[in-house]
Amino acid sequence: MFIDIDCAQEKKYNQNTYGDYFLSKRYPEKGELIAVLSDGLGSGVKANILATMTATMLLKFVEAGTNIKTACEVVMNSLPVCQVRKISYSTFSVVFCNEEGEVKIVEEGNPQFIYISGGKVIEPEFSVIDSDTFKNRHMHVYKLNLKLGDRLVFCSDGVTQAGLGSSHLKLGLRRQGLIEYLLEKIKENPDISSSDLAKFAVRVAINTEPDRKAKDDTSCAVLYYRNPRYALIFTGPPYHQEKDNEYAREFINSKSKKAIAGGTTANLISRELNIPIKCNIAKSAGKLPAVSYMEGVDLVTEGILTLTRTTEYLENGFKGKEKDAAYELMQFLLSSDCIEFMVGAKLNQAHYDPNLPIEIEIRKNIIKKMAKILEDKYIKKVSVRYI
Amino acid sequence: MNKITVKICMGTTCFVMGASSLQELVDMVPSRYGDKVEVQGVPCLEFCNARTEARAPYVTVDDRVVMNATVEKVIEEIERKLSNG
Repeated sequence: MFIDIDCAQEKKYNQNTYGDYFLSKRYPEKGELIAVLSDGLGSGVKANILATMTATMLLKFVEAGTNIKTACEVVMNSLPVCQVRKISYSTFSVVFCNEEGEVKIVEEGNPQFIYISGGKVIEPEFSVIDSDTFKNRHMHVYKLNLKLGDRLVFCSDGVTQAGLGSSHLKLGLRRQGLIEYLLEKIKENPDISSSDLAKFAVRVAINTEPDRKAKDDTSCAVLYYRNPRYALIFTGPPYHQEKDNEYAREFINSKSKKAIAGGTTANLISRELNIPIKCNIAKSAGKLPAVSYMEGVDLVTEGILTLTRTTEYLENGFKGKEKDAAYELMQFLLSSDCIEFMVGAKLNQAHYDPNLPIEIEIRKNIIKKMAKILEDKYIKKVSVRYI
Repeated sequence: MNKITVKICMGTTCFVMGASSLQELVDMVPSRYGDKVEVQGVPCLEFCNARTEARAPYVTVDDRVVMNATVEKVIEEIERKLSNG
Protein backbone atom coordinates (compact mmCIF):
# COMPACT_ATOMS: atom_id res chain seq x y z
CA MET A 1 0.00 0.00 0.00
CA PHE A 2 1.08 3.55 -0.59
CA ILE A 3 0.93 6.10 2.22
CA ASP A 4 -0.45 9.35 0.86
CA ILE A 5 0.20 12.08 3.42
CA ASP A 6 -0.20 15.83 3.30
CA CYS A 7 -0.98 18.78 5.50
CA ALA A 8 -2.86 22.03 4.94
CA GLN A 9 -2.46 25.05 7.18
CA GLU A 10 -3.77 28.52 7.79
CA LYS A 11 -2.09 30.93 10.13
CA LYS A 12 -3.91 32.93 12.77
CA TYR A 13 -5.42 36.10 11.40
CA ASN A 14 -3.01 39.03 11.53
CA GLN A 15 0.03 36.86 12.22
CA ASN A 16 2.86 36.63 9.77
CA THR A 17 3.91 33.07 10.44
CA TYR A 18 2.38 29.72 11.35
CA GLY A 19 2.22 28.60 14.98
CA ASP A 20 1.64 24.94 14.08
CA TYR A 21 4.31 22.86 12.47
CA PHE A 22 4.00 19.73 10.38
CA LEU A 23 6.93 17.53 9.49
CA SER A 24 7.04 14.20 7.72
CA LYS A 25 9.76 11.94 6.47
CA ARG A 26 9.58 8.87 4.31
CA TYR A 27 12.10 6.02 4.49
CA PRO A 28 11.62 4.32 1.11
CA GLU A 29 14.09 1.47 1.70
CA LYS A 30 12.23 0.39 4.86
CA GLY A 31 8.78 1.40 3.59
CA GLU A 32 8.27 3.51 6.70
CA LEU A 33 7.09 7.03 7.42
CA ILE A 34 7.19 9.35 10.42
CA ALA A 35 5.03 12.45 10.69
CA VAL A 36 4.65 14.97 13.48
CA LEU A 37 2.10 17.74 13.95
CA SER A 38 2.93 20.15 16.73
CA ASP A 39 1.00 23.16 18.00
CA GLY A 40 3.15 25.78 19.71
CA LEU A 41 1.83 27.86 22.57
CA GLY A 42 0.40 31.19 21.48
CA SER A 43 0.79 32.28 17.89
CA GLY A 44 3.21 33.95 15.52
CA VAL A 45 6.97 33.61 15.68
CA LYS A 46 7.14 32.32 19.26
CA ALA A 47 4.63 29.54 18.60
CA ASN A 48 6.38 28.72 15.35
CA ILE A 49 9.72 28.24 17.10
CA LEU A 50 8.17 26.08 19.84
CA ALA A 51 6.25 23.90 17.42
CA THR A 52 9.20 23.56 15.05
CA MET A 53 11.51 22.58 17.89
CA THR A 54 9.13 19.98 19.28
CA ALA A 55 8.39 18.41 15.91
CA THR A 56 12.03 18.35 14.86
CA MET A 57 13.20 16.85 18.14
CA LEU A 58 10.60 14.10 17.97
CA LEU A 59 11.41 13.25 14.37
CA LYS A 60 15.16 13.12 15.01
CA PHE A 61 14.59 11.07 18.14
CA VAL A 62 12.53 8.42 16.38
CA GLU A 63 14.82 8.52 13.38
CA ALA A 64 17.79 7.72 15.61
CA GLY A 65 16.10 4.45 16.52
CA THR A 66 14.43 5.38 19.78
CA ASN A 67 11.12 3.68 20.43
CA ILE A 68 8.33 6.13 19.58
CA LYS A 69 6.70 5.74 23.01
CA THR A 70 9.96 6.43 24.81
CA ALA A 71 10.78 9.39 22.57
CA CYS A 72 7.38 10.97 23.19
CA GLU A 73 7.60 10.33 26.91
CA VAL A 74 10.97 12.06 27.13
CA VAL A 75 9.64 15.05 25.21
CA MET A 76 6.43 15.15 27.27
CA ASN A 77 8.40 15.09 30.51
CA SER A 78 10.84 17.75 29.44
CA LEU A 79 8.69 20.32 27.60
CA PRO A 80 8.93 23.53 29.58
CA VAL A 81 5.93 25.34 31.02
CA CYS A 82 5.02 28.89 30.10
CA GLN A 83 5.68 31.05 33.17
CA VAL A 84 2.66 33.24 32.52
CA ARG A 85 0.03 30.75 31.50
CA LYS A 86 1.33 27.69 33.32
CA ILE A 87 0.68 25.40 30.36
CA SER A 88 3.00 23.40 28.14
CA TYR A 89 5.02 25.07 25.46
CA SER A 90 3.56 22.84 22.80
CA THR A 91 1.35 19.87 22.10
CA PHE A 92 2.00 17.14 19.55
CA SER A 93 0.78 14.12 17.60
CA VAL A 94 3.29 11.64 16.23
CA VAL A 95 2.55 8.89 13.75
CA PHE A 96 4.96 6.16 12.80
CA CYS A 97 3.71 3.78 10.13
CA ASN A 98 4.72 1.37 7.41
CA GLU A 99 3.38 0.25 4.04
CA GLU A 100 1.86 -2.91 5.57
CA GLY A 101 -0.57 -0.68 7.47
CA GLU A 102 0.99 -1.01 10.93
CA VAL A 103 0.56 2.33 12.64
CA LYS A 104 1.69 3.65 16.01
CA ILE A 105 0.34 6.97 17.19
CA VAL A 106 1.16 9.04 20.24
CA GLU A 107 -0.84 12.15 21.11
CA GLU A 108 -0.15 14.73 23.77
CA GLY A 109 -2.53 17.65 24.04
CA ASN A 110 -3.72 17.76 20.42
CA PRO A 111 -7.34 16.90 19.54
CA GLN A 112 -7.84 13.16 19.14
CA PHE A 113 -7.25 12.05 15.56
CA ILE A 114 -10.10 10.71 13.42
CA TYR A 115 -9.83 7.18 12.04
CA ILE A 116 -12.04 6.68 9.00
CA SER A 117 -12.55 3.22 7.53
CA GLY A 118 -15.24 2.13 5.07
CA GLY A 119 -17.00 5.49 5.29
CA LYS A 120 -17.33 5.25 9.08
CA VAL A 121 -15.39 6.55 12.04
CA ILE A 122 -13.74 4.01 14.30
CA GLU A 123 -12.84 4.95 17.87
CA PRO A 124 -9.80 2.80 18.63
CA GLU A 125 -8.58 1.75 22.05
CA PHE A 126 -5.58 3.45 23.54
CA SER A 127 -3.41 3.34 26.60
CA VAL A 128 -2.66 6.38 28.70
CA ILE A 129 0.80 7.24 29.96
CA ASP A 130 0.97 9.93 32.61
CA SER A 131 3.87 12.29 32.83
CA ASP A 132 6.30 11.73 35.71
CA THR A 133 7.03 15.40 36.01
CA PHE A 134 3.80 17.20 35.13
CA LYS A 135 0.44 16.26 36.59
CA ASN A 136 -1.67 17.65 33.77
CA ARG A 137 0.20 15.91 30.97
CA HIS A 138 -0.83 12.51 29.63
CA MET A 139 -0.15 10.90 26.34
CA HIS A 140 -2.43 8.55 24.46
CA VAL A 141 -0.75 5.65 22.73
CA TYR A 142 -2.44 3.77 19.88
CA LYS A 143 -1.47 0.71 17.89
CA LEU A 144 -3.54 0.19 14.76
CA ASN A 145 -3.64 -1.96 11.66
CA LEU A 146 -4.96 -0.01 8.71
CA LYS A 147 -6.39 -1.42 5.49
CA LEU A 148 -6.43 -0.15 1.95
CA GLY A 149 -8.66 2.94 1.74
CA ASP A 150 -8.36 3.80 5.45
CA ARG A 151 -7.60 7.36 6.51
CA LEU A 152 -6.31 9.13 9.62
CA VAL A 153 -7.05 12.80 10.09
CA PHE A 154 -5.00 14.84 12.53
CA CYS A 155 -5.68 18.44 13.36
CA SER A 156 -4.68 21.23 15.67
CA ASP A 157 -7.26 22.73 18.05
CA GLY A 158 -7.62 25.61 15.60
CA VAL A 159 -9.84 23.27 13.54
CA THR A 160 -11.96 21.75 16.30
CA GLN A 161 -12.42 25.08 18.09
CA ALA A 162 -13.19 27.06 14.95
CA GLY A 163 -16.25 29.27 15.46
CA LEU A 164 -15.99 28.98 19.26
CA GLY A 165 -18.32 31.40 21.00
CA SER A 166 -20.20 32.34 17.85
CA SER A 167 -23.97 32.60 18.03
CA HIS A 168 -24.70 29.40 16.11
CA LEU A 169 -21.85 27.25 17.48
CA LYS A 170 -21.23 28.05 21.10
CA LEU A 171 -18.58 25.33 21.45
CA GLY A 172 -17.17 25.68 17.98
CA LEU A 173 -16.97 23.13 15.19
CA ARG A 174 -15.71 20.41 17.56
CA ARG A 175 -14.43 17.01 16.54
CA GLN A 176 -17.92 15.72 15.81
CA GLY A 177 -18.68 18.67 13.53
CA LEU A 178 -15.50 18.05 11.56
CA ILE A 179 -16.31 14.32 11.29
CA GLU A 180 -19.65 15.08 9.66
CA TYR A 181 -18.02 17.29 7.03
CA LEU A 182 -15.25 14.76 6.38
CA LEU A 183 -17.61 11.81 5.95
CA GLU A 184 -19.82 13.82 3.62
CA LYS A 185 -16.81 14.84 1.52
CA ILE A 186 -15.46 11.27 1.34
CA LYS A 187 -18.89 9.98 0.34
CA GLU A 188 -18.94 12.51 -2.46
CA ASN A 189 -15.37 11.76 -3.55
CA PRO A 190 -14.22 8.37 -2.19
CA ASP A 191 -10.72 8.65 -3.71
CA ILE A 192 -10.00 12.19 -2.54
CA SER A 193 -6.28 12.75 -2.03
CA SER A 194 -4.80 13.61 1.35
CA SER A 195 -3.83 17.00 0.04
CA ASP A 196 -7.39 17.85 -1.05
CA LEU A 197 -9.04 16.48 2.09
CA ALA A 198 -6.65 18.42 4.35
CA LYS A 199 -7.33 21.62 2.40
CA PHE A 200 -11.04 20.94 2.66
CA ALA A 201 -10.89 20.55 6.46
CA VAL A 202 -8.99 23.82 6.86
CA ARG A 203 -11.49 25.57 4.60
CA VAL A 204 -14.39 24.18 6.67
CA ALA A 205 -12.74 25.53 9.83
CA ILE A 206 -12.17 29.00 8.36
CA ASN A 207 -15.72 29.13 6.99
CA THR A 208 -17.05 28.25 10.45
CA GLU A 209 -15.63 31.49 11.85
CA PRO A 210 -18.29 34.20 11.61
CA ASP A 211 -15.92 36.62 9.87
CA ARG A 212 -13.97 33.88 8.03
CA LYS A 213 -10.73 34.83 9.74
CA ALA A 214 -8.74 32.14 11.56
CA LYS A 215 -8.81 32.82 15.30
CA ASP A 216 -5.99 30.37 15.90
CA ASP A 217 -3.39 28.55 13.83
CA THR A 218 -5.36 25.94 11.92
CA SER A 219 -3.75 22.76 10.58
CA CYS A 220 -4.99 19.48 9.27
CA ALA A 221 -2.85 16.51 8.24
CA VAL A 222 -4.32 13.50 6.45
CA LEU A 223 -2.80 10.07 6.04
CA TYR A 224 -4.42 7.80 3.45
CA TYR A 225 -3.57 4.20 2.54
CA ARG A 226 -4.17 3.63 -1.14
CA ASN A 227 -2.88 1.85 -4.18
CA PRO A 228 0.17 3.66 -5.53
CA ARG A 229 0.01 5.48 -8.85
CA TYR A 230 2.99 4.47 -10.95
CA ALA A 231 4.75 6.57 -13.56
CA LEU A 232 7.52 5.61 -15.96
CA ILE A 233 9.71 8.11 -17.80
CA PHE A 234 11.97 7.03 -20.61
CA THR A 235 14.68 9.55 -21.45
CA GLY A 236 17.74 9.15 -23.64
CA PRO A 237 18.69 6.33 -25.99
CA PRO A 238 20.12 3.16 -24.37
CA TYR A 239 23.88 2.71 -24.41
CA HIS A 240 23.67 -0.60 -26.29
CA GLN A 241 21.73 0.06 -29.44
CA GLU A 242 20.97 -3.63 -29.96
CA LYS A 243 18.80 -3.48 -26.85
CA ASP A 244 16.57 -0.67 -28.18
CA ASN A 245 13.75 -3.03 -29.07
CA GLU A 246 13.84 -4.81 -25.72
CA TYR A 247 13.62 -1.53 -23.79
CA ALA A 248 10.96 -0.08 -26.06
CA ARG A 249 8.78 -3.15 -25.46
CA GLU A 250 9.37 -3.04 -21.75
CA PHE A 251 8.34 0.60 -21.73
CA ILE A 252 5.15 0.23 -23.75
CA ASN A 253 4.06 -2.92 -21.90
CA SER A 254 4.42 -1.30 -18.49
CA LYS A 255 1.18 -0.72 -16.60
CA SER A 256 2.42 2.68 -15.36
CA LYS A 257 1.51 6.05 -16.82
CA LYS A 258 4.15 6.75 -19.45
CA ALA A 259 6.18 9.74 -20.56
CA ILE A 260 9.03 10.11 -23.04
CA ALA A 261 11.46 13.01 -22.66
CA GLY A 262 13.70 13.28 -25.69
CA GLY A 263 13.41 13.50 -29.48
CA THR A 264 15.77 10.63 -30.19
CA THR A 265 14.04 8.51 -27.55
CA ALA A 266 10.63 9.21 -29.08
CA ASN A 267 11.97 8.27 -32.52
CA LEU A 268 13.44 5.08 -31.12
CA ILE A 269 10.14 3.93 -29.62
CA SER A 270 8.26 4.96 -32.74
CA ARG A 271 10.69 3.03 -34.95
CA GLU A 272 10.94 -0.10 -32.82
CA LEU A 273 7.21 -0.42 -32.19
CA ASN A 274 5.94 1.17 -35.36
CA ILE A 275 3.83 3.82 -33.63
CA PRO A 276 3.66 7.16 -35.46
CA ILE A 277 4.50 10.42 -33.66
CA LYS A 278 2.44 13.53 -34.15
CA CYS A 279 4.43 16.65 -33.49
CA ASN A 280 2.71 19.97 -33.03
CA ILE A 281 5.19 22.72 -33.77
CA ALA A 282 2.64 25.50 -33.93
CA LYS A 283 1.84 25.22 -30.25
CA SER A 284 5.37 25.57 -28.94
CA ALA A 285 5.12 27.66 -25.78
CA GLY A 286 7.47 29.42 -23.40
CA LYS A 287 10.69 28.88 -25.37
CA LEU A 288 10.42 25.11 -25.16
CA PRO A 289 9.53 22.68 -27.93
CA ALA A 290 5.86 21.70 -27.70
CA VAL A 291 4.64 18.29 -26.61
CA SER A 292 4.15 15.56 -29.22
CA TYR A 293 1.61 12.78 -29.30
CA MET A 294 2.04 9.04 -29.54
CA GLU A 295 -0.60 6.39 -29.01
CA GLY A 296 -0.15 4.51 -25.74
CA VAL A 297 2.11 7.19 -24.26
CA ASP A 298 0.64 9.85 -21.96
CA LEU A 299 3.21 12.57 -22.62
CA VAL A 300 6.00 13.10 -25.16
CA THR A 301 8.40 16.04 -24.75
CA GLU A 302 11.82 17.18 -25.88
CA GLY A 303 14.64 16.02 -23.57
CA ILE A 304 17.32 18.09 -21.85
CA LEU A 305 15.76 21.58 -22.07
CA THR A 306 12.36 20.38 -20.85
CA LEU A 307 13.85 18.26 -18.06
CA THR A 308 16.00 21.17 -16.90
CA ARG A 309 13.00 23.51 -16.86
CA THR A 310 10.83 20.92 -15.09
CA THR A 311 13.47 20.61 -12.39
CA GLU A 312 13.41 24.40 -11.97
CA TYR A 313 9.62 24.37 -11.62
CA LEU A 314 9.77 21.54 -9.10
CA GLU A 315 12.37 23.39 -7.10
CA ASN A 316 10.99 26.93 -7.19
CA GLY A 317 7.37 26.52 -8.22
CA PHE A 318 5.75 27.35 -11.55
CA LYS A 319 5.57 31.11 -11.88
CA GLY A 320 5.10 31.45 -15.64
CA LYS A 321 1.89 32.30 -17.42
CA GLU A 322 2.24 29.99 -20.35
CA LYS A 323 1.78 26.33 -19.55
CA ASP A 324 4.68 24.85 -21.50
CA ALA A 325 5.85 21.26 -21.94
CA ALA A 326 7.84 21.43 -18.68
CA TYR A 327 4.67 22.35 -16.83
CA GLU A 328 2.94 19.32 -18.35
CA LEU A 329 5.81 17.09 -17.29
CA MET A 330 5.71 18.51 -13.77
CA GLN A 331 1.97 17.77 -13.51
CA PHE A 332 2.63 14.26 -14.82
CA LEU A 333 5.22 13.66 -12.09
CA LEU A 334 3.27 15.23 -9.25
CA SER A 335 0.16 13.18 -9.97
CA SER A 336 2.12 9.95 -9.37
CA ASP A 337 3.44 8.31 -6.21
CA CYS A 338 6.09 5.93 -7.50
CA ILE A 339 8.22 7.27 -10.30
CA GLU A 340 10.68 5.23 -12.30
CA PHE A 341 13.18 6.76 -14.68
CA MET A 342 14.70 4.71 -17.48
CA VAL A 343 17.72 6.79 -18.39
CA GLY A 344 19.56 5.93 -21.61
CA ALA A 345 23.26 6.41 -21.09
CA LYS A 346 24.23 7.10 -24.69
CA LEU A 347 25.74 10.55 -25.17
CA ASN A 348 24.76 12.94 -27.89
CA GLN A 349 28.05 14.50 -28.95
CA ALA A 350 26.28 17.49 -30.46
CA HIS A 351 25.16 18.56 -27.00
CA TYR A 352 28.76 19.16 -25.97
CA ASP A 353 29.58 21.49 -28.81
CA PRO A 354 30.96 24.64 -27.17
CA ASN A 355 29.25 26.72 -29.87
CA LEU A 356 25.80 25.93 -28.51
CA PRO A 357 24.35 29.15 -27.12
CA ILE A 358 22.99 27.55 -23.96
CA GLU A 359 24.77 25.35 -21.48
CA ILE A 360 23.26 21.93 -21.83
CA GLU A 361 23.34 19.78 -18.75
CA ILE A 362 24.31 16.15 -18.69
CA ARG A 363 21.16 14.02 -18.61
CA LYS A 364 22.31 11.88 -15.69
CA ASN A 365 22.89 14.99 -13.56
CA ILE A 366 19.49 16.52 -14.25
CA ILE A 367 17.73 13.26 -13.44
CA LYS A 368 19.76 12.89 -10.27
CA LYS A 369 18.78 16.39 -9.17
CA MET A 370 15.14 15.94 -10.17
CA ALA A 371 14.92 12.60 -8.33
CA LYS A 372 16.27 14.17 -5.16
CA ILE A 373 13.75 17.03 -5.27
CA LEU A 374 10.88 14.60 -5.93
CA GLU A 375 11.96 12.50 -2.96
CA ASP A 376 12.76 15.27 -0.49
CA LYS A 377 10.27 17.97 -1.33
CA TYR A 378 7.36 15.97 -2.72
CA ILE A 379 7.85 12.72 -0.75
CA LYS A 380 7.67 10.56 -3.90
CA LYS A 381 9.20 7.13 -4.23
CA VAL A 382 11.73 7.42 -7.02
CA SER A 383 13.92 4.87 -8.74
CA VAL A 384 16.43 5.57 -11.47
CA ARG A 385 17.74 2.90 -13.81
CA TYR A 386 20.54 3.59 -16.26
CA ILE A 387 20.27 1.59 -19.43
CA MET B 1 2.74 17.06 -58.76
CA ASN B 2 3.53 15.50 -55.41
CA LYS B 3 3.15 17.53 -52.28
CA ILE B 4 6.40 18.84 -50.84
CA THR B 5 7.01 17.95 -47.20
CA VAL B 6 9.09 20.20 -44.99
CA LYS B 7 10.27 18.68 -41.70
CA ILE B 8 11.64 20.90 -38.95
CA CYS B 9 13.75 19.24 -36.29
CA MET B 10 12.52 20.04 -32.80
CA GLY B 11 15.36 18.21 -31.04
CA THR B 12 17.42 19.86 -28.33
CA THR B 13 20.38 20.96 -30.42
CA CYS B 14 18.31 22.31 -33.32
CA PHE B 15 15.92 24.07 -30.98
CA VAL B 16 18.63 26.01 -29.18
CA MET B 17 20.41 26.72 -32.48
CA GLY B 18 17.39 28.49 -33.88
CA ALA B 19 14.67 25.99 -34.83
CA SER B 20 12.34 27.85 -32.50
CA SER B 21 12.27 30.76 -34.93
CA LEU B 22 11.58 28.39 -37.84
CA GLN B 23 8.11 27.90 -36.44
CA GLU B 24 7.17 30.98 -38.44
CA LEU B 25 7.08 28.64 -41.43
CA VAL B 26 4.00 26.95 -40.02
CA ASP B 27 1.89 30.01 -40.81
CA MET B 28 3.92 31.41 -43.68
CA VAL B 29 4.11 28.35 -45.94
CA PRO B 30 0.38 27.54 -46.25
CA SER B 31 -0.46 31.18 -46.90
CA ARG B 32 2.13 31.33 -49.66
CA TYR B 33 1.89 27.89 -51.25
CA GLY B 34 -1.51 26.60 -50.15
CA ASP B 35 -1.64 22.82 -50.00
CA LYS B 36 1.33 22.29 -52.32
CA VAL B 37 3.70 22.27 -49.36
CA GLU B 38 3.20 20.77 -45.94
CA VAL B 39 5.22 21.72 -42.84
CA GLN B 40 5.72 19.22 -40.02
CA GLY B 41 7.68 19.18 -36.82
CA VAL B 42 9.62 16.05 -35.94
CA PRO B 43 10.98 15.19 -32.49
CA CYS B 44 14.49 14.80 -33.93
CA LEU B 45 15.92 14.32 -37.42
CA GLU B 46 19.01 12.78 -35.81
CA PHE B 47 21.49 14.64 -37.99
CA CYS B 48 23.28 16.42 -35.15
CA ASN B 49 24.81 13.25 -33.76
CA ALA B 50 25.59 11.72 -37.15
CA ARG B 51 27.59 14.60 -38.59
CA THR B 52 30.93 15.76 -37.37
CA GLU B 53 30.51 19.47 -37.99
CA ALA B 54 27.81 21.34 -36.18
CA ARG B 55 25.28 22.57 -38.71
CA ALA B 56 22.09 22.73 -36.64
CA PRO B 57 19.29 23.61 -37.03
CA TYR B 58 18.38 21.03 -39.65
CA VAL B 59 15.33 21.02 -41.87
CA THR B 60 14.47 18.63 -44.66
CA VAL B 61 12.58 19.62 -47.79
CA ASP B 62 11.58 16.22 -49.16
CA ASP B 63 14.93 14.45 -49.51
CA ARG B 64 17.09 17.59 -49.35
CA VAL B 65 18.72 18.52 -46.05
CA VAL B 66 18.95 22.24 -45.26
CA MET B 67 21.76 22.89 -42.78
CA ASN B 68 22.06 25.98 -40.59
CA ALA B 69 18.47 26.45 -41.60
CA THR B 70 16.80 29.84 -41.61
CA VAL B 71 13.35 30.79 -42.85
CA GLU B 72 14.94 32.28 -46.01
CA LYS B 73 17.00 29.17 -46.75
CA VAL B 74 13.99 26.89 -46.38
CA ILE B 75 11.83 29.11 -48.62
CA GLU B 76 14.65 29.16 -51.19
CA GLU B 77 14.75 25.36 -51.18
CA ILE B 78 10.96 25.12 -51.53
CA GLU B 79 11.09 27.56 -54.47
CA ARG B 80 13.80 25.49 -56.13
CA LYS B 81 11.76 22.31 -55.73
CA LEU B 82 8.62 23.96 -57.08
CA SER B 83 10.37 25.44 -60.11
CA ASN B 84 12.09 22.11 -60.93
CA GLY B 85 8.70 20.42 -60.75
